[in-house]
Amino acid sequence: MKLGLPPFTRTATFRLAVLYALLFTIFSAGLLIYLYAATVQYTRYVADQRVNAELDSIQKAFRDGGLPRVNQSLIERASIPDRYFLYQLTTPTGTKLSGDLSGMPAEGTGRVEFPIDAQRPDGSLLTIEAEGRIVRLGDDALLMVAFDAQQRNEVTRRITQAVWVAFGVGLALALGGGIIVSRWVNRRAEELASTAEAVIGGDLHRRARLRGANDEFDRLAERMNAMLERLERLVKASRHTGDSIAHDLRSPLSKVRNRLESALSEEEIAPEKARDTLETTLGEVDRVLATFNAILRLSNASTASRARMVRTDVADLVEELAEFFEPAAEAVGLTLKAEKPKSAIVLADKAQLSQAVSNLLDNAIKYTPTGGYIALQVAVNRETNKVDLIVIDSGPGIPEHARGRVVERFVRMDSARTLPGSGLGLALVETVAEVHRGEFLLMDGRGAPDRPGLKAVLRLPLA
Amino acid sequence: MNLLVIEDEQESADFIAKILGGAGYEVDIANDGDSGLRKARDGDFDVLIVDRMLPQKDGLTLVQEYRDGGGNTPVLFLTNLGDVDQRVEGLRAGGDDYLSKPPAPPELLARIEVLARRQPGEVPITTLKAGDLEMDLLSRRVHRGEQKIDLQPREFRLLEYLMRNSGQVVTRTMLLEKVWDYHFDPQTNVIDVHVSRLRAKIDKEFDEPLLHTVRGAGYRLQA
Repeated sequence: MKLGLPPFTRTATFRLAVLYALLFTIFSAGLLIYLYAATVQYTRYVADQRVNAELDSIQKAFRDGGLPRVNQSLIERASIPDRYFLYQLTTPTGTKLSGDLSGMPAEGTGRVEFPIDAQRPDGSLLTIEAEGRIVRLGDDALLMVAFDAQQRNEVTRRITQAVWVAFGVGLALALGGGIIVSRWVNRRAEELASTAEAVIGGDLHRRARLRGANDEFDRLAERMNAMLERLERLVKASRHTGDSIAHDLRSPLSKVRNRLESALSEEEIAPEKARDTLETTLGEVDRVLATFNAILRLSNASTASRARMVRTDVADLVEELAEFFEPAAEAVGLTLKAEKPKSAIVLADKAQLSQAVSNLLDNAIKYTPTGGYIALQVAVNRETNKVDLIVIDSGPGIPEHARGRVVERFVRMDSARTLPGSGLGLALVETVAEVHRGEFLLMDGRGAPDRPGLKAVLRLPLA
Repeated sequence: MNLLVIEDEQESADFIAKILGGAGYEVDIANDGDSGLRKARDGDFDVLIVDRMLPQKDGLTLVQEYRDGGGNTPVLFLTNLGDVDQRVEGLRAGGDDYLSKPPAPPELLARIEVLARRQPGEVPITTLKAGDLEMDLLSRRVHRGEQKIDLQPREFRLLEYLMRNSGQVVTRTMLLEKVWDYHFDPQTNVIDVHVSRLRAKIDKEFDEPLLHTVRGAGYRLQA
């Protein structure tokens, strides 16, 4: 059986925590080693200084009065209670002259370390570590000054111990903290993941829970919820579209079917009549195809990528469209004027934007009675950093209560049912506005209250 | 003239072959990308009609490989959807024109006619002529007989396109795409109005009309 690691160990936070603990360990190990070395070196230096000072003072006595003076000095020193130093004076061959030990612990001169037996205050014996230095006094004798190194070694041992404890505690803290943090992060990530899981499973209503801490997870959850909101809206819209398509295409297709059926049921069909039936049917099928094309264009527009967008001067675009539509307007007795637009740069899919404005102009030409006017304007608002592409006509306008509905797919006003059209034109404008992070507004034009005309505004953010 | 139709849906291929055959073209059909590319390379065709979605090798790759191999026969792409991205991709891959399926017969014929007549590596010309109508592309002046005709810049481009394809039918959609570079169909008869304005300038005061309306198809400039 494979031993699995707990899930939080596979998180980025945990890996970071481990890395952090590792770095912490390396750093503190370095620091502690330095501390240890420095302390040991310093205590050794201080002890050496004291031993040297003591040796100096005894050598001075030797220079002043020879061995007898040294001997006397040692006797004096030995009488000091709780003395720090041990002394030993021998002949150059090692025969004891006076001192605390039975003989020299080492031959020659220089530094020595040796064990000695000592008596505890209660009388029991123990071995302690001593350290000292041996020097030659002229040709007559060898002198050693030593001290009890037990205490110093004890300090070193304690420091070593503290170093190990600090090291262990630090490492445990780093790892433990890492585990706690990564488990916490993992739990919050799991919460978001479970929301996503639920949505994948089909529950489009599910939203991520906010903790109210306004931390990065809350912000992520917020954006995720906004995304889900939009997704839900799109799914609903496309469901609605699907229903509408079925509904809208059913009736022309049933008509086609009926016509073909009745033509088939006739015993003998006159060639002119057959041709007539086929032509009418073809026309109807063409209209169905045109509706399909409009639907495809609409769904293309709503999935358009920002990648296709380029910096576009709306003034040029509007001027070209005005020039394009002007003769058609004139032909039905309307004046179409583009009020000399100021240059305004937006980030746009040029083909889509042209199509949107052209839909507005198409509508204006279609619904404005002869003798009326259509005005095309560009208004820049530097304060809000937006530009309005405006089409105003002197037609019947759209009553306020219907304005929200006419931008929905397949919605047509009753007064327009007899005119050709798919009911998708304004829906496309709305979609193009959305894709360009702008908005589409409908309001009264500048006519009299009973016949206000329509003002359609495509508001886009300036680039 | 010989045409090659590369299309996997048999019904669609038969439909196209029937339209083209009815117009007097010799039509060969390939049903997948590989055999299409082989035929295009081996045969001597005037236009290739290529579906975007093909088994084995999609239309885009096919045309790219054909062009890389030095083939220079004009290519008309058939797309399921006149999507801007698809159109741009198609032209970039070496296509010369595109049409969405199902193609309307007059539209298909007009486009093929224009493509077939195009000479690869054409010598740049500076004047266009149709009967007594003359267009100087350098000085941007237009004359009919002795009379000078004043045109707006867009009218000039419209007439230029008609004259470059004189004797051939051009559809409203072709004019919309090639003269205005718009890729949507306006609901109103915008193109007709532009053409009739142009007609008023070049034909009105003359006995012999040059710009003809072809019913159910489009327009033709012919002396």
